Amino acid sequence: MMLELLSVPAVILILGALVLPLIPERIRSTVFIIFPLVALAMVWTMPEGNLLQASFASYELELLSVDKLSRIFGLLFALITAIGGVYAFHIKDLGQQSSALAYAGGTLGVIFAGDFFTLFIFWEIMAAASSYLIWARGTEESAKAGMRYLLVHIFGGGLLFIGILLHLSGGGSLYIESIEPAYTAANIFILLGVALNTAVPPLHAWLADAYPKATITGAVFMSALTTKSAVYVMIRLFPGWEILIWVGVIMAIYGTIYALLANDIREILAYSIISQIGYMVTVIGIGTEIALNGATAHALNNIIYKPLLFMAAGAVIHATGTSKLSELGGFAKKMPLIIGLYMVGALSISGMPFLNGFVSKTMISGAIGDAHLEWPILLLLIATIGTFLHTGLKLPYFTWFSEKKSEFEVSSIPTNMKVAMGMGALFCILFGVAPQLLYSQLPYPTDFQPFSVYNFVEMTQILVLAFVGFWFLKRHLNVSSTISLDTDWFYRQPADIVRTVFVEAPNNLFGTAENGALKLANKLSKFSGNPMKAFLPSFIMEGREVRSDGFTAPISAALAFILFGFLVAILVVLL
Amino acid sequence: MKNWHWIALGSLLIASLILEFTYLADYASHWWNHVPAFYALWGGLGCAALIFISKGLGKIFILSDEDYYDA
Repeated sequence: MMLELLSVPAVILILGALVLPLIPERIRSTVFIIFPLVALAMVWTMPEGNLLQASFASYELELLSVDKLSRIFGLLFALITAIGGVYAFHIKDLGQQSSALAYAGGTLGVIFAGDFFTLFIFWEIMAAASSYLIWARGTEESAKAGMRYLLVHIFGGGLLFIGILLHLSGGGSLYIESIEPAYTAANIFILLGVALNTAVPPLHAWLADAYPKATITGAVFMSALTTKSAVYVMIRLFPGWEILIWVGVIMAIYGTIYALLANDIREILAYSIISQIGYMVTVIGIGTEIALNGATAHALNNIIYKPLLFMAAGAVIHATGTSKLSELGGFAKKMPLIIGLYMVGALSISGMPFLNGFVSKTMISGAIGDAHLEWPILLLLIATIGTFLHTGLKLPYFTWFSEKKSEFEVSSIPTNMKVAMGMGALFCILFGVAPQLLYSQLPYPTDFQPFSVYNFVEMTQILVLAFVGFWFLKRHLNVSSTISLDTDWFYRQPADIVRTVFVEAPNNLFGTAENGALKLANKLSKFSGNPMKAFLPSFIMEGREVRSDGFTAPISAALAFILFGFLVAILVVLL
Repeated sequence: MKNWHWIALGSLLIASLILEFTYLADYASHWWNHVPAFYALWGGLGCAALIFISKGLGKIFILSDEDYYDA
């Protein structure tokens, strides 16, 4: 059994996390990259089917369920972990390296889980391992944000687990298969648990709160793994749940508006994740074959260009030490390569033809069009305009091209960071010009053709006019040193009250009770030492103290004499 | 923005409009296909709407001082 476990890609990565501390520092970064590459090769070569079972209590768990959908997600996750490893090649922090591998291992475990228990265990490994990537930043802000992130994810895991238990006790299957759209308590809890990791508002605030505060390299892994693995689970469990159509549209617009307001470059990108996931959630709600293909294709493209954008943002932070638009500006000439690679990712996500975002966004509009839902198409187009505005225009313009807003040094960027970004950009272009590479791996066969005159006309007009709009209205965009209030307000603002009521009040109560109990015990032990003393207190008579618990010297002598007499008598009798 | 940037953007837009009125003249899969240059209008108006709506929402309640949670 132990050896068979080594055929699970997730186990290889988690094993890697455990082995890394034993590897000498100078080759550790290289070894880090080997593990996801091994996992990549394993996922590539695995046959389809349920490959490994394990017994747990009375359940038969499916640890390795491979089909077209799980294989392509697994491949992309392993690939981006390896690319992330290249980006983090210069990092010597063992804790970050190990937790990143364990985190990616958890993700692959979720992808290939065939049953709810396996899914849940790997789901929690992801949450725990990724929290360290926030804490490793080492600032007080990241310590607090990491704790909030962990608590929210524990809450989400709890919702999921309640749902799973209700599902099983209601006679539901242990195995992961699509759930009929019925609003039972079990289904709602599972949906909420998954929705939290998918960052569906109002359960999304952890993402925009934590990602901007994670380490430079940690955020790269996080931007690829958590939300997209949750999208995968949503595709598996909730296809055709119509409520998701409008939930997705709201997500797309919501993320866009917040991204337009954000001042921190990684916060813009974090809100942009929420907006992008909105597209996927919308088509999961439609649930037809082309819709699920569209959701899968868009998720896969996001796994490539989101980390690329976070890598470029990380390069800016690495070079300047700041991430705020209100402080950046005026150094475009100092990092032309980074700007070029960033723009490949930014134009991809905006849906520019011949880049990968275009081939999945057009598929999504096609799927919504086939379902005759006109308004979702128009509203998602608004989100596309917004994506181009904040990721494609606002962020690069105010980071690099606008006038300098504060004094900072621009230090050089390690080559490995540039190489990793180059790899990400390469895949953006590859899937953009040769979409069949991507389409042939989708769960359902498709003959969708993205390169139609209609799609070119549509995207050209949208993007050109959005650019014109930006250019003339850009002074209205927020680049002041502000933060955005979001639904995390509900657990951050009352934190003091919550702490007083739920932590300090019970603490004080227990403290008082404990002190009282100790005092009582102290008194009781003194009392039981000589109860006589309590009933016959000492008093002073004729100038001498008469102690109720003591004896005067003559009485002591008399008692000793009597005892001695007894001893003598016993000796006489015995001898 | 240099002049040739604007010229390039303008020619792209004109090319897309020419295609729309010739090659796609009879194309109709959505109601808005009958509106001339609909996507250009939607792009421009959508952009302005997003900028001003987000600005308004930011003013009303979203944007706060950086030390909001520390104060």
